[in-house]
Amino acid sequence: MQNAKDTFYLTLRGRLAALNPARTTVVRGVVRPGILVEENELPTIAVLVDAFRLNWTALRVDSVGPLPMVTMECSIRYATDGESGNGGMDRGRLLAGMDAELASALCIPPQTTAKMNYSGASAGVAPIAMGTNVFWADPIFGDAAMVGERLERTATVQVFAHQEAGEL
Amino acid sequence: MSAGGALRVADVLLRAVGGRTVMLRMPAPAVPADVTEQLGIATPAFQDLPLAPVVYRKARATVAAGKATRWELLVSASAVMTLVGSLAYASASVLFANAFGVLSDDELLEIVSATEEQVFGQPYVYRVVLRAPLAQVT
Repeated sequence: MQNAKDTFYLTLRGRLAALNPARTTVVRGVVRPGILVEENELPTIAVLVDAFRLNWTALRVDSVGPLPMVTMECSIRYATDGESGNGGMDRGRLLAGMDAELASALCIPPQTTAKMNYSGASAGVAPIAMGTNVFWADPIFGDAAMVGERLERTATVQVFAHQEAGEL
Repeated sequence: MSAGGALRVADVLLRAVGGRTVMLRMPAPAVPADVTEQLGIATPAFQDLPLAPVVYRKARATVAAGKATRWELLVSASAVMTLVGSLAYASASVLFANAFGVLSDDELLEIVSATEEQVFGQPYVYRVVLRAPLAQVT
């Protein structure tokens, strides 16, 4: 399951960075594409705006078949306060831009990629390709919510993968 | 009184009411292009930096059933400015936003918010709200 989560995150990160290279965020002093998995970062109360925050929520395992089929739900939260120079009046347009980027990144065919094992990867050491794929459904976008001057939305996407023998 | 004078008075007052030292726990900067940190495989190193003088504003913490205990810490602005300068952060708010927590009496408290009190446009003390770990919620 962890390999599928890692593969999905890095695939989505690559697609979002290609769609809009200007969407970046700074995490511990380093500029990165504007997407992160919250469970992989230091816990913080602060909400990172203008970036996509992934959380893995529901999990279902279907053991019918030669390999168990794992269905995971990825909750993708994003928010914007708008540009301070514009008094935040453009926050609706900025949220619409993030909606479009996420929809494009997730719906670009193919909605599948080879599952990779990153557990042994490091600088100069490539991840290992596994024998099955990770694939995902179209995203479902929730209602936009106003929290003070902040506009935010949560999209959910179901991610599927076969659980290979011996895989964590 | 000048801004520098207010800073010195604040430091004297903090020391006079039992100013103590806590440690600000800072994570090392992320490694560029290292996916293992983004995947939670590699974890950053931490360094504990002394912050003094500081005083807990109230002896008793704010306690509510089912919620994490909170404290309010008054921190010398001169100590904060020293750290901001030596670590080359853009501002105190960036320093506190990047900090992992405050280590006080061997307990790591999370930083909820950090605000400054100013005189003549210069901060002389910071009010840092801290939260106990969720594992201690009863």
